[in-house]
Amino acid sequence: MERNISSLVIDWLCNQARDGDIAVGGLYCDYLAQEQQSATNILGAILKQLLERDGIPEHLRQIFRKEKRGFGGRAVQLLDLVEILKTALISLPKVFICIDGLDECIPKNRRELLESLRNIVQASPTTRVFLSGRPHVRDEVKRCFAEAVMIAVVPPIADIERYLKMRLDQDPTPSAMDGNLRVEIMRVVPRKISQM
Amino acid sequence: MQSFGSRNVNCGNLTNSNNTITLNDNKAITVNKTDDEDNQIKQWLSTLEPRHRHQSVQANRVNGVGGWLLERGEFRGWRGSRGIEQAVLFCYGDPGVGKTHIRLVRKLSPPSRDR
Repeated sequence: MERNISSLVIDWLCNQARDGDIAVGGLYCDYLAQEQQSATNILGAILKQLLERDGIPEHLRQIFRKEKRGFGGRAVQLLDLVEILKTALISLPKVFICIDGLDECIPKNRRELLESLRNIVQASPTTRVFLSGRPHVRDEVKRCFAEAVMIAVVPPIADIERYLKMRLDQDPTPSAMDGNLRVEIMRVVPRKISQM
Repeated sequence: MQSFGSRNVNCGNLTNSNNTITLNDNKAITVNKTDDEDNQIKQWLSTLEPRHRHQSVQANRVNGVGGWLLERGEFRGWRGSRGIEQAVLFCYGDPGVGKTHIRLVRKLSPPSRDR
């Protein structure tokens, strides 16, 4: 459900972006792709999206050309990337960075990511960051952003019912389901979840 | 639906929209070179392509679910805020809310691709 909510927030922001001067960059962390999800690769992906608005700035082009001259080309380093992002943010309007599923990153990557985000936000006070994840990463977020706005995702019963109905409608073997069972699921599951 | 990334509706396209196509051959070659370098720079920045993931999450989204968040005062406040204090909004879900929910359904129906 958090993933649902993140994608809703991203779309909502993108729709706002159409009218106003804002740019949105976002990413879903996935525990199946932990190796690829270094702080550098995540922030690089966000930057790529933000640059789609105005194209690649000259300062980035220069850094890239310089790095490429080295032996076999040097991979982008986290600290350099944070500086590139900070410079890029100056020429962008209000930016929203959205990262879903923080708990799916390994702790080292998560710590680097949060610290980098703090560094970025300090340099660009108009940038907003939307994060989502399991409650156990809440303290880590608090450590980097003491004043972060925290919202618990407790879906209203109506949302659970909608979701459940969709899942039951998509049941690949509807023959295993009878009307009574369906009624029972719709009766019991939303109540159980809302009591958690 | 607006594509993911920026207000540029065409942002899924890898070509740089700033480049104009001209009939002049020399100019056209320069444009191609820049495009090639643009792609190299993007690849250098990150190998991840979050847009694809967004599209699949978007496709599986249930209409109306989560709308409550957009109406919340804290969300609105964060959206319009400035400064470092309120820069971050963290939405956290009880592990039971999503996963158990799906597990309960799975017990009664065969597993699907959703986790």
